Amino acid sequence: MSRQIHISKTIAGLFLLALFTSCFKDVDLSQTEDIQITPDIDVDIIYYDLNKDDFLDSDTGEFTAIIRDTVRLEYLDDSYMQDGLTYAEFRFRHENSFPYAIRSELNFLNDRNRKEFDVNYIIPAGSDTMISVIDTLHIVQESNINQVKKSIELAVELELLEPSKSLEGNLKFSSRGLFRLTF
Amino acid sequence: MRIAIVLLIFFYCSSVSGQNKPLLYNVDDLPQALLQNPGARIDFTRHFGIPLFSQIHFSVGSTGVTAKDIFEDDGRNINARIQSAIRNLTSTDFFSINEQIEIVSFGWKMGNRGYFSAGAYQEADIFAYFPSDPAKLAFEGNADYIGQPFRFDDVSFTGEVLTVYHAGFNYKMDSKLTVGGRVKLYSGIFNVESTNNKGAFVTTETPGGVNFYQHAVNGLDIVVNTSGYASLRDEEDMTVDQAAAELLSRSFFGQNVGVGVDLGFHYRVTEQFSVNAAIQDFGVMFHQKDIENSRYFGSYETSGLQPLFPELNPGQETIPYWDVLEEELDVNLQDDKTFGAYNTWRPLKYNASIQFGTGKSILPCDYLISKKPRYMNLFGMIVSGVNRPKGPTYGVTTYWDRKINDYFRFRVAYGLDQFSRTKFGVMASSRFKNFNAYIAANDIIGYTNLANAHSASLQLGIQYVFKDL
Repeated sequence: MSRQIHISKTIAGLFLLALFTSCFKDVDLSQTEDIQITPDIDVDIIYYDLNKDDFLDSDTGEFTAIIRDTVRLEYLDDSYMQDGLTYAEFRFRHENSFPYAIRSELNFLNDRNRKEFDVNYIIPAGSDTMISVIDTLHIVQESNINQVKKSIELAVELELLEPSKSLEGNLKFSSRGLFRLTF
Repeated sequence: MRIAIVLLIFFYCSSVSGQNKPLLYNVDDLPQALLQNPGARIDFTRHFGIPLFSQIHFSVGSTGVTAKDIFEDDGRNINARIQSAIRNLTSTDFFSINEQIEIVSFGWKMGNRGYFSAGAYQEADIFAYFPSDPAKLAFEGNADYIGQPFRFDDVSFTGEVLTVYHAGFNYKMDSKLTVGGRVKLYSGIFNVESTNNKGAFVTTETPGGVNFYQHAVNGLDIVVNTSGYASLRDEEDMTVDQAAAELLSRSFFGQNVGVGVDLGFHYRVTEQFSVNAAIQDFGVMFHQKDIENSRYFGSYETSGLQPLFPELNPGQETIPYWDVLEEELDVNLQDDKTFGAYNTWRPLKYNASIQFGTGKSILPCDYLISKKPRYMNLFGMIVSGVNRPKGPTYGVTTYWDRKINDYFRFRVAYGLDQFSRTKFGVMASSRFKNFNAYIAANDIIGYTNLANAHSASLQLGIQYVFKDL
């Protein structure tokens, strides 16, 4: 009988010992302060595909060398962008089959219509058989990231340079932005 | 105090195993065996529990990750470990918390063959699959996952707090077969469920398309049903006392109700060998009050904005492309709030076991047939599981149950389930006169370092159990 009691006490003791000496070890919970969420968001921005009609006045049919438009990019002002954006990478690609060089201006404007940064270049002339391609990366590092955060509009301006030949052709534009956020 | 800290840490880890309690299953001198299997073979004639203390049960678990996996103190960057965990976890990994506190419990022998038992307990159950794709999208973004859909059906979770009132009857058909059933009335306090969600977000490259990518939300249909939540949320100035009073009132059928049954049997194939099985909570909750349901649905595709270079007069505004996009989004991706009733199935639990006894002894403690042979060593195997939204969780437990004498028994168990393949458990039950105390802990290796444990569960209680013969 005493042996049975001894077994009982031993088992109960071991059991309670395991239970009450259980602990939370080999971990450092203060690391929660170092947790960062760093999503990389890859999104299309704008696109267009222009032909000769886009350079002709719809009423008079007269040639217009310069055309422009503005697109608001409201998401640049969203809180997650304002609070978390640390890096931005823009990719712009033009494919030109017009037989003229084309000046392209991409101006990122703030809410007072002032330029924060721009990406400008000349697209060489192309042809139906030899499409001229300009593929550009514009990287904005953390030191200049406020340029992106302050931007709210993208103003696009295109100018056909020295158009003296046929207006036949196309100008295709693709763009995307890679936004690295850190929270 | 130490236990309180342990339990707080459990909840901090938000990690569960099912509501099954294999360490209490088939323990024939504990009334809690009747809650596991109303047809269990028992050897007591009356019982009543100490209110609020006859059974305290906590069970927590996480199939895919431990606290140590995230917070290990090894000098590495925690964000690398989080990213690794997110990539390793799948949408079938799950986290679970289950808690039960018996409020009242009592029972007595009726006639020569029957035993009536009844009581009430409060239960909280939270079960969530790891939302793998949405987590990857939130933590890593879409840039590294071009062409791979982020599936919204990964979002699947349930949570409920309720009070269960029950009454059961255990009946010995003959010397071999015992059957039992239990009727349950559920009084819902709080419920949330979001299962059977659909849809995906995908970014695909579109060579030859209008832009670099196409972003598409396809067939989005996410529904989150709640009951008992809206009124608490709207009560901004509610004090803790008022909130407690409100929740208490819901415990007494003041809110949503449901019904369910437990069924079970025990069959003694030979004097030494027996089989038994039971289902618990085959029941449904009818959520009709304090409902607030949210639904998000639709499909939309975009490749960005397309400036049209309109001919503008001086001072004329261009086309509001962004506003147009937002309007299209509002039309195509909608959210809706409804207040309609809904029903939820309770998570059905099932247990089945075989048991073999050795070490025959004669003890005057069987309530139906005096001087019935008992076996001091019981070896058994239990298969248990719980129905969950994406299929049942399961576990297998083998045990050695040793009755030292009529006042002390213990059980050691080894089991495996979706949380762990090294699940050792211990149960001890002691009786001093008619006062019984028991404690059971599963996955006891994990108790040595909870940070490294995938699961842990604990049941303990005190009560009066009578074996009048």
